[in-house]
Amino acid sequence: MKKKLSALFLILTLLVAGCSDGEKEGAKGDKPVESSESKTLVIANGTDLSSFDIHNHNTTSTEAVHVNMFNYLVKNGGEEGFLPDLAESWENVDEKTWSFKLKEGVKFHNGEELTADDVKFTLERVAKDDTLLEHGSYKQIQEVVVKGDYEFDIVTENSEPALLNRLSRIGSGILPKDYIESEGWEVFMEAPIGSGPYKFKEWKKDDRLTLEAYADYFGEPAKWEEVVFRSIPEDSTRVSELLTGGVDIAVNIPPTDLERIDATDGVSIMKSPTQRVMMLVARTGGEGPTADPLVREAIDLAIDKQAIVDSLLEGAGKVTRTRVTPGNVGANEDLFGKTLYDPEKAKELLAQAGYADGLELSLSSPNGRYLKDKETAELMAAMLQEVGIKVNLEFLEWSSFNAKYQEKGFGDLFFIGYGNSMFDASLALDRLKKDKAVGETDYDNPETEVLLQTAESNMNLEERNEQYKQAQELIAEDRPQIYLYQLESIYGVNDRVSFEPRLDEMFYVDNITLK
Amino acid sequence: MKYLFQNLLKTIPVLLLITLIVFLLVRVTGDPVSLMLPETATEEERESLREALGFNEPLPVQYFTYLGDLVRGDFGDSFRYNTDAMALVLERLPATFELAFASMIVAILISVPLGILSAVKRNSFFDLFITGGAVLGKAMPSFWLGIMLILFLAVNVQIFPVSGRDGFQHLILPALTLGTGIAAEMTRLIRSSMLEILGQDFIRTARSKGLKEGIVVNKHAFRNALIPVVTIMALQTSTLIGGTLITETVFAWPGLGQLLVQAVNLRDMSVVQAATFLIAIFVIMSNLIADLMYRMLDPRIKYD
Repeated sequence: MKKKLSALFLILTLLVAGCSDGEKEGAKGDKPVESSESKTLVIANGTDLSSFDIHNHNTTSTEAVHVNMFNYLVKNGGEEGFLPDLAESWENVDEKTWSFKLKEGVKFHNGEELTADDVKFTLERVAKDDTLLEHGSYKQIQEVVVKGDYEFDIVTENSEPALLNRLSRIGSGILPKDYIESEGWEVFMEAPIGSGPYKFKEWKKDDRLTLEAYADYFGEPAKWEEVVFRSIPEDSTRVSELLTGGVDIAVNIPPTDLERIDATDGVSIMKSPTQRVMMLVARTGGEGPTADPLVREAIDLAIDKQAIVDSLLEGAGKVTRTRVTPGNVGANEDLFGKTLYDPEKAKELLAQAGYADGLELSLSSPNGRYLKDKETAELMAAMLQEVGIKVNLEFLEWSSFNAKYQEKGFGDLFFIGYGNSMFDASLALDRLKKDKAVGETDYDNPETEVLLQTAESNMNLEERNEQYKQAQELIAEDRPQIYLYQLESIYGVNDRVSFEPRLDEMFYVDNITLK
Repeated sequence: MKYLFQNLLKTIPVLLLITLIVFLLVRVTGDPVSLMLPETATEEERESLREALGFNEPLPVQYFTYLGDLVRGDFGDSFRYNTDAMALVLERLPATFELAFASMIVAILISVPLGILSAVKRNSFFDLFITGGAVLGKAMPSFWLGIMLILFLAVNVQIFPVSGRDGFQHLILPALTLGTGIAAEMTRLIRSSMLEILGQDFIRTARSKGLKEGIVVNKHAFRNALIPVVTIMALQTSTLIGGTLITETVFAWPGLGQLLVQAVNLRDMSVVQAATFLIAIFVIMSNLIADLMYRMLDPRIKYD
């Protein structure tokens, strides 16, 4: 017995010793990541794909997968304008009608040809079914009129200058009508087919989705044999997978891991602007102190946004005085990259407003929704305290925050980050229109209102852009929303691939290539 | 048989109570509709979605509709995946069972030798080392242990894969993470159970007959010490399931735990309800089995 026990003890000691040796070796850190020529690309997301029902989700990370399986009619090329995808050409016939011509010979993954009937089926489904999550963005489409196999018109309810923006975002992929009608949605969800360069192979939920190259793709042949989207919710695990070469690209790298990744050979950090702008939303109506424009200006001047970006976000952001950032239709670039910070003037403004002895404000912030949101709110409260504004901070978990947000139940200020999947100023500024602002910002500047209302349906695009730019100037002065910074997304990338992150956070995997 | 039947009957009110508590909890902690729709959604859009999902009914009506569906085996659809909630839960069971089973093996492999050694060498250096280690093992939060194991054994010394479920190698780190806490508890239990048995008369008799110490410890003492241990193992089901919530998230292990964590975060009510219902059944059944095993192993305990 004694011998056996001693042997067991020896084994255990060896095991422990084995581990501690590892620790010492580990302390050296930055072991280079090996590169390989594998034709499989692995991307690690923080969440799993939600569904193959392209109309019934509103998550960017799910769309980032879908864009490889389905095609839009047109692609939003940012500064290049709209580019053909399934549509060969298009024309704005009159205020409510857009005419399209499809490319011929586009085949779905089951070999059937994609025609105008598929477009009608897809767009009318999301435009008419109000239980679908994307319905709100497509309900402006009244009808799709099929004129031939490859020609159709899209008729909108009202004049819709942003139609192409609507057709090049979440839920804009074209679905196979015959396949869905003959097999049913359940079969489609299990074995989805689209017309994109990659077709569905396997989905292990909460683990990985595997796509494989589709040989009959109508465009450039697929560059990868297989693409795997892994779901790794824990940040540190995602970083570890990157450091061991388990994944080629990892999203949402926490700022605290930047140095560690930088120090490791074979992996790099890539930063890219996103559509999300963080801001303080202020109540401009009612009896509260923020109803006074001087107080709102003082709040703006008291917060050092650049310091927040540099210290808390490790540089992963860009200061801004507008929510419509470059790359969006109607962006006012003069207000981007700019910030105001002058605590002395803030104190003077407060004194002018009759708050020389200081004032008290409430600020609600989500906790854990955006990068460093809680820390940012705390830092802003401390900065405001410096000029004599005592802030009563309220932190809420996202679903409680969201419920309060939907009820318009916040006090003087709340901290939020808005995205914009339409890439158009109309969506970004919609909440500042008088009827939408009631109970939230109570923003009511007749001049801004006229600009926003006319721009929304103005089919003269140049004039429309100017109207939005002017509206942004007015908003920047009135400060119903005090803009802080545009968030950047941080990716960890294995050096074997070259990858340019996109503003819309999509992964068009054929734009990611082996070096 | 009558005992078993009585106990099975008792589970019905327990299950009903659990469904009610979970039903209420998922509804008071946030509105899923506001999480599902974008910020630009209008009140009408939110209302029509609420109606489609049946959330505009009064709570008691919603609860009884839910119970009615439940009796028919319909747990509703997941909002996140747009698919049958119970099917999703059942799909994840093999992964969670695999992890739970492997963790139990790890726990047994660690705790049995250490527990015996600790009892036999009572108050020695080994004993102190092992009992100290057991306290440490119990005190380490599993998310911390998991991340540390990844850092040391997968990133620095690349012996094991970091995460995912793709063969035996992937199972080792999560099983170690989850197994360690249980091993710590079982080591202490085996030690105290062994100490109690080792002090009893029949052990002294065995020794006085001149039996070798190995036979006394292994055959006479350990077998008897095992009775409470085996039953406690069955009672560890809830600890195991609780542990999988964290361990599966850290290791991106696609099991029931990860599904439940994500479902709670997104207020995916049907999935939360289906998963907790199934977990409740497991816990109740494993307690019942523990009870029965205890009675089988120790014939002195009579059925009522």
